[in-house]
Amino acid sequence: MDIFDQVNTTTTQDEFEPMLELTPALVQKRRSQARIIFDRFMRNRTAVVGAAILIFMFLFCFLGPYVTGHNNPNAINVSNVSQTLAGPSLSFPLGTDDVGRDELARAMAGGQVSLLIGLTSMLVAIIVGVGIGSIAGFYGGIIDNLLMRLTDVVLAVPLYLLLFVLSASFIDHTPRSVILLIAVLVWPAASRLVRGEFLAIKEREYVLAARTIGAKDFRLMFRHILPNAAGPIIVNATILVGNNIILESVLSYFGFGIQPPFASWGNMISDGQGYFSVNPWLVFVPGLLIFLTVLSFNLVGDGLRDALDPRMTER
Amino acid sequence: MGRYILSRLIQAIPLLFLISIAMFALIHALPGGPEAVLFNPRLSAAGRAALRARFGLDDPVPVQYFKWIGNAFVGNFGYSFATNEAVSSILARRFPATLELFSIALVEALIIAIAVGMISALRQYTLTDYVLTTLAYFGIAMPIFIFGLFAQDIFGIWAHWLPTSGTTTFGVTFDAFNAAWDHINHLILPTSVLAITFIATWSRYMRASMIEVKRQDYMRTARAKGASTSALIFRHALRNAVTPFITVVAIDFGTVAGGAAITESVFAWPGMGQLFIQSLDSRDYPVLLAMLLLSAVFVVAFNLIADILYGVMDPRIRYS
Repeated sequence: MDIFDQVNTTTTQDEFEPMLELTPALVQKRRSQARIIFDRFMRNRTAVVGAAILIFMFLFCFLGPYVTGHNNPNAINVSNVSQTLAGPSLSFPLGTDDVGRDELARAMAGGQVSLLIGLTSMLVAIIVGVGIGSIAGFYGGIIDNLLMRLTDVVLAVPLYLLLFVLSASFIDHTPRSVILLIAVLVWPAASRLVRGEFLAIKEREYVLAARTIGAKDFRLMFRHILPNAAGPIIVNATILVGNNIILESVLSYFGFGIQPPFASWGNMISDGQGYFSVNPWLVFVPGLLIFLTVLSFNLVGDGLRDALDPRMTER
Repeated sequence: MGRYILSRLIQAIPLLFLISIAMFALIHALPGGPEAVLFNPRLSAAGRAALRARFGLDDPVPVQYFKWIGNAFVGNFGYSFATNEAVSSILARRFPATLELFSIALVEALIIAIAVGMISALRQYTLTDYVLTTLAYFGIAMPIFIFGLFAQDIFGIWAHWLPTSGTTTFGVTFDAFNAAWDHINHLILPTSVLAITFIATWSRYMRASMIEVKRQDYMRTARAKGASTSALIFRHALRNAVTPFITVVAIDFGTVAGGAAITESVFAWPGMGQLFIQSLDSRDYPVLLAMLLLSAVFVVAFNLIADILYGVMDPRIRYS
């Protein structure tokens, strides 16, 4: 105790001299892993723009209706024939559609549906993909073979044919069945990706080390291998959200998606296409919203790919 | 190489059987079924039973499957429930339309995607690159039918330059030359719209592949030995950059038998995609099953072709 007191009293501020000069490179090493990735992401201008658009889009769709007062379900879902196909005005900033519903309110309500479908179907597909892919990649052999033949079956049939057959089976057209339908179509690609990562990572020495100190399979898979495979999975998941929003709009275009009067960006386009020459905004607005959202998810995905890749040097 | 192809072909057989079983089960699980959708609701019980017997719907589903797959094996896909025409003759009529659409779109897309990808890569991080990249993202981030709608409205309805649907103009008799010209006019919009999706994704592949090649040592060597810029780009860079790119093209072309459902539906093109949607509406089991099986065969075949091409074009790759 004496010594400690002595040290504290003798080392005053002006006597203190660091043994090592704190160069910028050393200061950087203090950052946490997440911080490094975040900083690298923020340096990528296009990715930051994408993230900003996404934040704006979520605010627009989920908070917008309350801010602008366009949250009246009557204006969104109930037709009003006295005001069909109106141009932009103060009460209807984006005009009205063919049955007199407020286009701005529908754009926001439809955005909630489209974004939720995109996100949830991605989550379902990634969870299934990680489950199947990690088991196939980790155990290999006959299990791998069986599971991968399963993905082959889905991947060997052209996407849209399968989409149509399945959508005829899920007849209720609720958001839940649209989500499940899209997830059924996209999980195989996700599980292929996860399997590939697992195949590569499970051969590394640190996995062997963990196994020798008695780590069980489950722990090896989800504590040791999965975190190291997270990068590509996150990137894939981000881009998948945009993809799934497009798939939803294709479903709606063929009349298999969310059914009117409920709005989604996809069915707003297919409803509006018949009135394209009268009021092109009915197609432009949801089309632009889909474009911006999907583009931003792609930009953020690309940004994350660069940020998560440790081989990328600081630019 | 020969052994590799053989082993891949042998692997494909159980896969196709698995697909046929899965698709048969899926089609027969469709709600409604031909009885509810296709049969006249006023049909008497006896007539109904006769039709069921004729369509072979009375057998248990596994028996139906084996009958179907046995016939399919020798090329007999049965008769359409809706029109009673032989499925093979329906497909023989529809497939050329889709093939025409696909092939022309493919050539357009190949030329433009290679050019765009190369220019983007050679002018990396310049304004040209950013503009081309943004345009490519447009093609990736927009549902394809929106391009179809715009194209129809701008070139067809507004400017009256091009016809917006079908393969020929109805009600007009042309001589041979004008008929061909009329047909070409009908092709322009659908092939261009179909090409957009391909151009968007392929030009990204081409750009990445070209950037990879640009950095290689042999490029610097060739330059040092005095190769001109055009020789450098076309003889050294392009040939190497195109190799991985061609496999992507081959895999995408494998979906041809499924048709281009969206483009065909926007432009009322009488191809496979349109046929599939019509058959789905009428629960025309024989047509649906034949199309699903055929398109799966195409996908599997073109995946194999892509792998073989990759080996042929890049001698460093050895299959064992």
